[in-house]
Amino acid sequence: MESELVGLCIEAACQSRESVEKWRRQRRSLERLPSQLADALLRRLLTRRLLYPSLLEVFKHSAEEIDLRGENSVDAEWMAYLGGFRNLRSLKVSDCHRVTSSALWAMTGMTSLKELDLSRCLKVTDAGIQHLISISSLEKLYASETGVTTNGIVLLSSLKNLSVLDLGGLPVTDQALSSLKALTKLQYLDLWGSKVSNKGAAVFQKFSKLSFLNIAWTNVTKFPNLSSLECLNMSNCTINSILEGDGGKAPLSKLIFSGATFIGEAEAEAFIYVETSFLSFLDLSKSSLQKFCFLPSMKALKHLDLSFVMIGDDLVKHIACIGVDLKNLNLSNTRLTSAGVEILVGHVPNLEVLSLSSTLIDDVAVLYISNMPLMKVVDLSNTNVKGFIHRAGAEPRSVLSLQALESLSHLEMLNLEQTRVQDDALKPLSSFQELRNLSLRSTSLTDLSLHYLSSLPKLTNLSIRDSVLTNFGLASFIPSRTLKMLDLRGCWLLTEDAILSFSKNHPQIEVRHELVHILPADNIGSSRPSPSRSTSRTLLVNKKLGNIHISPCFVDQRLKYSKQELLELQYSSIHASPLDRGINTSQMELN
Amino acid sequence: MKKEDTVKLISAEGFEFVIDKEAAMVSQTIYNMLTSPGSFAETQHGEVTFPEISTTILEKICKYFYWHLQFASGKETEFPIEPELTLELMMAANYLHT
Repeated sequence: MESELVGLCIEAACQSRESVEKWRRQRRSLERLPSQLADALLRRLLTRRLLYPSLLEVFKHSAEEIDLRGENSVDAEWMAYLGGFRNLRSLKVSDCHRVTSSALWAMTGMTSLKELDLSRCLKVTDAGIQHLISISSLEKLYASETGVTTNGIVLLSSLKNLSVLDLGGLPVTDQALSSLKALTKLQYLDLWGSKVSNKGAAVFQKFSKLSFLNIAWTNVTKFPNLSSLECLNMSNCTINSILEGDGGKAPLSKLIFSGATFIGEAEAEAFIYVETSFLSFLDLSKSSLQKFCFLPSMKALKHLDLSFVMIGDDLVKHIACIGVDLKNLNLSNTRLTSAGVEILVGHVPNLEVLSLSSTLIDDVAVLYISNMPLMKVVDLSNTNVKGFIHRAGAEPRSVLSLQALESLSHLEMLNLEQTRVQDDALKPLSSFQELRNLSLRSTSLTDLSLHYLSSLPKLTNLSIRDSVLTNFGLASFIPSRTLKMLDLRGCWLLTEDAILSFSKNHPQIEVRHELVHILPADNIGSSRPSPSRSTSRTLLVNKKLGNIHISPCFVDQRLKYSKQELLELQYSSIHASPLDRGINTSQMELN
Repeated sequence: MKKEDTVKLISAEGFEFVIDKEAAMVSQTIYNMLTSPGSFAETQHGEVTFPEISTTILEKICKYFYWHLQFASGKETEFPIEPELTLELMMAANYLHT
């Protein structure tokens, strides 16, 4: 960790071009600079936009790790200097679109380089690989989505020290892959989207240390039987066979089969023969699997994603019996009902993240969720949740279901978008002490909802989209100090002036709305342009309203206007000229 | 100032800075030297020599120690650093863990 004074020095050194000139000629100091200080200084110069090719040279003895990812200015001139860095161990230039094959020529013969990231450098082709094969120290090479073809890939076989090789999105054929069998130190191999099939996959056996393999979007149909494999990604593959012969006992910890189609014996037996006692992460979202009898053996699962899978409540008993360690469970877009959630209660003591979005659950599920003590993130969006529970004998709309969630003392994030909750149902939320992130999206929410939410002490992100908030409601909203983002998209009753004046009063909050485009931070608050007649009136009105307490019985704001007027307002808020709108606003608020 | 409450820091050129122990302890390295139970010569004489740190830089470091104490007690001022000193000062700060 960097000490405090070091941080102050780096800040002072990168103050301006003039300050850089003051130290850049201190050659002897620069030569003695420890690498972690050189790397930190270089990083800061880059973010301050003070770094240029010839300044790079002062770091040629000291820098060991340089991260230039996404820097558009990086080109052949930069690479020419970097090629002379004799102690450089790691260079990341991914997404630097001006790095070409010929720019890599400067790197020929670098002796210390161990890691090179060229991902998405589209102009790097086979000719570029030709320059790299002289760097025999290279251990990690990321070349996904570059212009490299099979000819370049074959060349890589001479880089015998490679342990990490990312060839994602490249046209790796079976033949090209088999030429890489000399790379026996490989531990990490990424071949997503390549042309590899079962025939080429036989080469994987040569990589005795392989622990990470990504063959998503390929024609491989067999689950590779590798003794050291820990993480396997076969998303969007068609799988017909999982482990032939005697099952390999690979220490698998992470399996990703998102969007995979299981056919034949793989469909029937799935993971039965796979050693899953270490498996902690399983993603089967959007896969074609329908039988899950293998689940009970996966005792170590922490993260399970079954979204978009054709399952209902009958599956939940399998999840319940392996729920002890489960932290993250995604059952969104399934046919789960509240009865399914009931089965989980008591079996998932460590669950922290639960997504039930787009399922058939209702408010009863909310009560069950309140019995999962460590819950942090709950997604109930796009469900039948209303916020009320009908009880025989009780008055209708008197039992608030969200009240139950108050017992979850760790709840940080709640998504209720596109549910059927109305203002009254949100009342219990006002006492949620840990809630940081709340998403609402409904045409039936009004100013009253906003009023309830102003007392949340830790709220940082609030989204209340498509609601009928009014200028009055926004002006009288007193957000907590922690609020950073307020998403008001689709709240079509709000006018530009009202939103701007809210932003002026709360410069720390990023407001999102169709009428707000880009609000540069220093434009708000600090430099106020001379206010026009209309805005000054709006401000005045807002000031007065700020002190008025909202009466507890709120009326749906739409009731104030006739349908005709509402349509006119909607039209005016989008098309009216600023002056017209200003007067409109003031009149509306004075009503 | 009592002698046991102070510490003498000596620069590469032999220049001596006598400062409060409390201030010097802002540096984790000096703190370790002065408090470790072993038989560091530094612990006995209350003297630390820095053959790698020049007088100019050591003076700046001492100023920083006192600024840090003030800052910690709530006095929010800026600590000015001349750009020409940044490289040497950052190396010294790195060595002193301050």
